Amino acid sequence: MSNPSITGEATEEAIAILPGARARERASRRTGRARRTPAWAAVVLMVAVVYFLLPLYATAVFGFSTGKHFTLQPLWDGLADDGFQTSLQLSLMYSIATTLLALIVVAPTAYLVELRFQRLRSTIEFLTILPFVIPPIILAVGLESTYGINSPVNLIASSWAPVLLMGGYFVLTLPFVFRAVDNALRAVDVRTLTEASASLGAGQMRTFLRVIVPSISLGLVSGALLAFTTAMGEFTLAALLGYPTFPVYLLNINGYQPREGEALVIVSFVITWAGVIALAVVARRAPGTQIVRGGPM
Amino acid sequence: MSRLELVNVTKRFGDQVAVSDFNLTVDDGELVSFLGPSGCGKTTTLRMTAGFEAPDSGSVVVDGVDMTEIPTNKRGMGMVFQGYALFPNMTATENVEFGLAVRKRPLADRRARVAELLELFGLAHVAGSYPHQMSGGQQQRVALARAVAIQPGVLLLDEPLSAVDAKVREELRTEIRRMVTQLGITTILVTHDQSEALSISDRVVVMNRGAIEEVGTPAQVYAEPRSAFTAGFIGAMNEIPVRIVSGAQGLVERRGHRVTAPGAAGLADGELALLLVRPESLEPLSATNGSLNGDLTLTGQVEVQTFLGATTRLLIREFPAGAGEGPALPPTRRIAVDVPSASAGRWPAGSELAVRVPVEASRVIAGRSAAEAARQTPTTPATPTTPPGV
Ligand SMILES: Nc1ncnc2c1ncn2[C@@H]1O[C@H](COP(=O)(O)OP(=O)(O)OP(=O)(O)O)[C@@H](O)[C@H]1O
Ligand SMILES: [Mg+2]
Repeated sequence: MSNPSITGEATEEAIAILPGARARERASRRTGRARRTPAWAAVVLMVAVVYFLLPLYATAVFGFSTGKHFTLQPLWDGLADDGFQTSLQLSLMYSIATTLLALIVVAPTAYLVELRFQRLRSTIEFLTILPFVIPPIILAVGLESTYGINSPVNLIASSWAPVLLMGGYFVLTLPFVFRAVDNALRAVDVRTLTEASASLGAGQMRTFLRVIVPSISLGLVSGALLAFTTAMGEFTLAALLGYPTFPVYLLNINGYQPREGEALVIVSFVITWAGVIALAVVARRAPGTQIVRGGPM
Repeated sequence: MSRLELVNVTKRFGDQVAVSDFNLTVDDGELVSFLGPSGCGKTTTLRMTAGFEAPDSGSVVVDGVDMTEIPTNKRGMGMVFQGYALFPNMTATENVEFGLAVRKRPLADRRARVAELLELFGLAHVAGSYPHQMSGGQQQRVALARAVAIQPGVLLLDEPLSAVDAKVREELRTEIRRMVTQLGITTILVTHDQSEALSISDRVVVMNRGAIEEVGTPAQVYAEPRSAFTAGFIGAMNEIPVRIVSGAQGLVERRGHRVTAPGAAGLADGELALLLVRPESLEPLSATNGSLNGDLTLTGQVEVQTFLGATTRLLIREFPAGAGEGPALPPTRRIAVDVPSASAGRWPAGSELAVRVPVEASRVIAGRSAAEAARQTPTTPATPTTPPGV
């Protein structure tokens, strides 16, 4: 491995953690290009910041005031609400289950594709992009007509209902989880590591769990976080299929107790960002990620 | 500590034959190198031995047991990969310990053995380091220690030294040799560095286009190559065209001189052949027109001097042959003569020189020149390589 390719991988990994333009922006800023940022880029950045932060600010102001001065009362009221607790529990349960399911299904699949079924890669990539192409509303309608009250396989009214929502969430999180895991897999030489492990006597299961999983742990963590936040914030499916999850509850409470609702929105926003920051910290600390030799540990 | 046999092993990728009808027996505790140009099938043969690749036909036999259908993790062969392939998430200790943990050795045994190996390979001070915190040479040692830890019957090394610098490479190859001798592990070393192959192997397998060109001890393949390919691939070799006068008597002719030369016996009368002679075997003569009885001489002009350390190589352009004087060197070919550097000043560029071709140190072979043979191998430049530092 030559050094340029190593730095390339490191950058890719950074992008895998926070997909999208913002990560790329950060990555390029780290390489020092930002110092030559033209004025118009700064303007665009300002507009974007205002665009994103203004609603947040408005929400916070509304949620944490009585109309005149600052108070945390709406927050305490919101937290004390029964609906809040049950819906949050439900959402947490679904999100954790979805995350685990996604990891358990995606990680071995992506590993095998990388190792043995390279020919299937384009098919799998296409499949994982589908949720971006098909809006959740279509998915919801489809699930409703296939497994809903009017269908012969009526799952929604049965004890299988949680599985139905989890299935939907699994599909929605697939692109994020697959990307994150796949990026991590491509950054290590999966084939050679597998062969090295086999030459030392390890079977496939041990190789996967002891060698592959730890070396892609970063991708797994970022994939898990993305899956978790996606499931936590998902509204369309839950609302249309009639699951009283946290986002659904938030919308409802906004209707009759708007200040409490807004206060809870801010709280959930803070929690999400805490998660993202925690992820970034983990990413910097994880063994094997300090790739540039001689850098600070 | 096993005897390894590769029997009629063949592997195709699509319609390309990567390895064809490969037969080799590696004795218990023997170190054999696979040497050959890029793409000649060295890695493929090794991978089939390890079980990463299934041969299309033929078998891999260890101690009389057919291993062809046995998966890699049941073969008990140690492998060192070209790019180290250390587990990035494990320290040096954990890497070396991995194979022992798989074998469910008691923890105390494991720890003791790992410590011993790290000590043996001079790695004790990096025991707790992760691969990315180690130098290339250290990583390479860890890879070796890890492969040896499982006490493999057969050790497979795929260009283990190609990624470290020249000094570390020489150090490590001595270490590999010592280790193999000490532990008595049957070892295959893949390399395209001929000096590496010649310096540490018991036997060298010269490969060309998926097939074995020649197998022999380092001294044999260096001094008595049986093919032009081997001659050209190992060390620098002069190829002087000659005509067979009498195959029965082993008599060859060049520019009016007739000599009996080894290897000429049995070749067809009147055929063109090549007389092979190493640059270090050629002897400069004091007079430019000297012709000694029973020997060939070449005369020409020194074109370039190349300083090689103890010796200096003179590249000589032979004076053109007169009409009917028999086979001549191709116009672009030069004769390489190695002289002690101390006396190289006697033959500056532009000076004229006669050299004696000692027949006892040369061999006649039929057929194409090594340059032509090598040209058939797509990715190999036909340059003669420098002699090994042995
Ligand atoms: N997986 C593969 N698929 C297709 N062709 C392959 C594959 N592996 C090897 N080959 C081909 O088989 C031939 C032998 O390859 P191999 O890797 O064994 O050569 P090598 O002697 O190890 O070369 P090098 O010195 O460059 O490592 C090459 O022509 C190569 O292109
Ligand atoms: Mg190779």
